[in-house]
Amino acid sequence: MFRKILIANRGEIAVRVIRACRDLGVSPVAVFSEADAGALHVRMADEAFCVGPAPSAHSYLNSAAIIDAAKQARAEAIHPGYGFLAERAAFARAVNEAGLVFIGPPPEAMEVMGSKTSARRAAIQARVPVVPGTTESLKSVDEELTVAASFGYPVMLKAAAGGGGKGMRQVAAETDLASAFETAQSEAVASFGLADIYLEKVVERPRHIEIQIFSDSHRNVVHLGERECSIQRRHQKVIEECPSPIDDPELRRRMGAAAIRIAEAVNYVGAGTVEFLFSDATGDFYFLEMNTRLQVEHPVTELVTGIDLVREQINVAAGARLSFTQEDIRWHGHAIECRVYAEDPENNFFPSPGRITFLRLPGGPGIRDDSGVANGDEVSIHYDPLLSKLTAWGRDREQAIDRLRRALDEYALSGIKTTLPFFREIVRDDEFIAGRLDTGFISRFNQRRERGRPARIEPEARTDRDIAMIAAALAYARAQHRSQDHKPLEQSKWKLSGRVAALNRASDRRAFRRGPR
Amino acid sequence: MRLSAAVAGYEAEIELRDSGASVSAKLDAKHYELDVRESGNGYVIVSEGKIFDCRIEGRPESGHPVMVTVGTQSYGITLTDPKCLRGAGGAATQADKAARIVAPMPGKVVRVLVELGDQVEAGAGIVVVEAMKMQNEMKSPMAGTVVTLNVSAGITVNAGDVLAVIE
Repeated sequence: MFRKILIANRGEIAVRVIRACRDLGVSPVAVFSEADAGALHVRMADEAFCVGPAPSAHSYLNSAAIIDAAKQARAEAIHPGYGFLAERAAFARAVNEAGLVFIGPPPEAMEVMGSKTSARRAAIQARVPVVPGTTESLKSVDEELTVAASFGYPVMLKAAAGGGGKGMRQVAAETDLASAFETAQSEAVASFGLADIYLEKVVERPRHIEIQIFSDSHRNVVHLGERECSIQRRHQKVIEECPSPIDDPELRRRMGAAAIRIAEAVNYVGAGTVEFLFSDATGDFYFLEMNTRLQVEHPVTELVTGIDLVREQINVAAGARLSFTQEDIRWHGHAIECRVYAEDPENNFFPSPGRITFLRLPGGPGIRDDSGVANGDEVSIHYDPLLSKLTAWGRDREQAIDRLRRALDEYALSGIKTTLPFFREIVRDDEFIAGRLDTGFISRFNQRRERGRPARIEPEARTDRDIAMIAAALAYARAQHRSQDHKPLEQSKWKLSGRVAALNRASDRRAFRRGPR
Repeated sequence: MRLSAAVAGYEAEIELRDSGASVSAKLDAKHYELDVRESGNGYVIVSEGKIFDCRIEGRPESGHPVMVTVGTQSYGITLTDPKCLRGAGGAATQADKAARIVAPMPGKVVRVLVELGDQVEAGAGIVVVEAMKMQNEMKSPMAGTVVTLNVSAGITVNAGDVLAVIE
């Protein structure tokens, strides 16, 4: 086992990996940008190294500085988290060449799956169905128009190096294609440094269902079941659950087998996720892509299978066999995760950076919180706006929703806008409660909300509003009162410092008395 | 103390008698007898046996909105103190037909899609701003002419900056 691991990431995922390190008795080393010197992941680590200025291109994507830090700290392995360098084969190679272990799959597997076009080819070879689309990157808008016309609209433009919804645009009609192509391409360049774009036919009202796979370097490959991630905005997941509300063991077995075939085809090692689109209408599933890393939404699988995926990643990277077999895996109960983003759901999910002035996290039975921030932290414009992941587990989906609703109401955060109010409404939505999900859920939910907005305020809400107004007035009145009391005093500095010294002595005595008994 | 308070679509006169732990408040015709405890960033208020956990963001000033959260519900409340009426009321909204394209958040301008003097349709993209890795196209709410263009690609903008004006 390793003695020391460097975590090449920030925020909640760095905190998550640090926790796994602590469990295993491994010393965690953090890296940080100049904007993150006081960040939670730095405070929780044993050692921390600054790897550059705030923009991630100069810090969290600065492989040379990160590998230098690992060598300086005498770490033996690097965990990349997700995002940043997690799926860059060149980084994995550089880590290996520096004599360190990269906690993730072999670079060759990352290369095949890293380009969506070669991933599609690999899936086709592994006899896994794919959505009709191009297997080569598109060279021009003209080529794109021809291909799109042959599939029929709507079509989806995707960055070949993409992920997280960046460089991705749905196009409803021919007239929108050229501008969408340009935007997708420039987002692709900004996010991934590659302009390659490909095109797919859109499967109508699909569920997004993914399979967690895990393999070790001894050729054992297993799947840990599915996660349903259909609730997305801007093609980015916001709520994920395990199992899918479909909860069909036969479908799970078939999709699991397909995911394992893909993993085997690329000699995969470690944690990976194979994403599929599933059509309720036909019962068919199509390979979408494989993420060669830990997923943001891994906690739902952990809660339902009882397997610690990060711990397993570290063990497998150290050469150990998987600690479980396919037959050992049982799915117990139901888990649902909400991604708490610093975004304003009332304003098209616009980012809402700023300082967190108050934070009180929920707890209690069945609740897990994976936060990357603490009270008083500044949420910067430089990074992904994910603040924390709130996950609820219950014996069944109904109980998981009950607990999630309770925890969302308990979750108190001030200073910035977050997606919390939005989630509080979703967990009360009939369609969500019934499990009728597909990737168009949020836009339909928003329409329902617009229609269903109460014209009259409920009497209960009216009391809340009255009390809020009184609280504001009271705060104002008391502040006025205090400033009037203190204003005209031109105090002697000597008297003041004497009084302060006396107070300090008094508090020293108190501290002494409070000492160990 | 007498104040007037406004919250989305509703206004009321508030009269407060503050004796520390107990506060009586008259809000228009309604009367509240409240137990009040200060909490870290607001008050825990008990009214007729019911608890209201109130958090206040920032310091309330006359004429400036303050955010008050009761439980999970947030209210933007603007107080007006009749004692400091001078300076009340913001700049009058422009009555002429112009639309200001304002940056909704801090970020970087990645593309400017128009030039000064261009004729644009309603819904036409004007400027693309990137923040937190997402690109957002600022669109014109009306058809008109680009009469002001304050930004160019690559510059950093703050929330509230006027990027362009369409007239």
